[in-house]
Amino acid sequence: MEETISLQEFFQTLRKRMLLIFSITLLVTALSGVISFYFITPIYESSTQLLINQEDTNTNQMPDLDIQTNLQLINTYSIIIKSPAILDLVIKELALENMTTQSLNKKINVNSEGDSQVVTITVQDADQYIARDIANSTADIFQREITDLMNINNVGILAKATASEKQEPVKPQPILNIAISMVIGFLLSIGLAFLLEYLDNTLTSEQDIEKLLSLPVIGSISSMEIKEQKKIARLNKMQQK
Amino acid sequence: MANRMNKKMETQLITIENSKSPISEQYRTLRTNIQYSSVDKELKSIIITSPNPGEGKSTTIANLAIVFAQQGKKVLLVDADLRKPTIHYTFNINNTKGLTNLLMKKASLGDVIQQTPVLNLFLLPSGTIPPYPAELLQSEMMSQLMDRLKASFDLILFDTPPILAVADAQILANKSDGSILVVKSGSTEKEGAVRSKDILMSSRSKLLGVVLNNKMMKDSPYQTTYYYGQIK
Repeated sequence: MEETISLQEFFQTLRKRMLLIFSITLLVTALSGVISFYFITPIYESSTQLLINQEDTNTNQMPDLDIQTNLQLINTYSIIIKSPAILDLVIKELALENMTTQSLNKKINVNSEGDSQVVTITVQDADQYIARDIANSTADIFQREITDLMNINNVGILAKATASEKQEPVKPQPILNIAISMVIGFLLSIGLAFLLEYLDNTLTSEQDIEKLLSLPVIGSISSMEIKEQKKIARLNKMQQK
Repeated sequence: MANRMNKKMETQLITIENSKSPISEQYRTLRTNIQYSSVDKELKSIIITSPNPGEGKSTTIANLAIVFAQQGKKVLLVDADLRKPTIHYTFNINNTKGLTNLLMKKASLGDVIQQTPVLNLFLLPSGTIPPYPAELLQSEMMSQLMDRLKASFDLILFDTPPILAVADAQILANKSDGSILVVKSGSTEKEGAVRSKDILMSSRSKLLGVVLNNKMMKDSPYQTTYYYGQIK
């Protein structure tokens, strides 16, 4: 087997397996479309924002040091929000019987936006109203509990989580899925085409014969299938014009 | 049944049914190439074989015989495939007596050679299938028969069994002037083709070349139109 492959051979292989490449790409794309539209449960997202502000009146610290302290606090808060101390209360308040602390933990994502003092609690769930309720009660309970836990009262709710009937799910994203699977299907089928070409040990062209057998090709007879014949006839008409 | 037979003839004997078709033109190109392939030595007997069964030997040889006959040559097509003869089906003739009966001296040339609707084309079917075809073809009787046939025909074409399967084609290659290897595009394996070539090269006859059968048009759309463009 030759090690190198010319650009011409490359395109010849692609053209030869065009149908295969096209159909595999189409199949994979369609499959991902069907799966994203019909089989994956849509997940909705809802988020609430908290403002962390140290209400410190009796110390004369530098203002930027204040912020530094606040940022450290925010990191601590993120962990507290996702701790069982808060989540168990959320489950109790919302009466989420079939949910454990861990499973609730996975739905909640806490992050602060940049260097700001705003913390966003994002909740993902198959039901947009449950996502909203979890986000809101987590924020409420956290606000309430933090006064006991850390002996400070510096958490304010900036924006409440909302939900509506018209809300778009965040997952799955069918268009993105389809686009990705189209690219993957295309690459996969090209790979397959070359694999088949590599594994094919049959003679297919005059060049094959001349290269392999070093014998003259004294004739090539086209396939006698009706389809092929029609194609030849069409080519002839074009030639004669 | 008769209808089906006709259908079969239609597709196989394209050089009769549609002598202006591009495929017929491909057969005429093959004919020309055979005529040019041996200048110094006259080719009167040619065998056609292929590495494996079902690669288009019989169709190729039938159409080739027709285009040679159409050129005005007196052609005899011999079905020397004594294991799985097909020519009597292709031309719809009876195969009660043929080559084997000749070789066993059970019949005379006049009894077994049949005329066809094609002018100048004569057929010699296989005849009764014998128990040891290779021995029969190897016999001195076969050599004598070939000499006799050469005297009365311009060209004798032999259809043979696949060369990798049995020795028959090799035996006949040793007794004839030229041999042609038919390979089927996308079906004949490279290794088999190389082995067939080696066998034919070691025989007495000249290996004239290879015929690529069942070639897909899309591989090279230009060639056939080019040849067809020449006749019009």
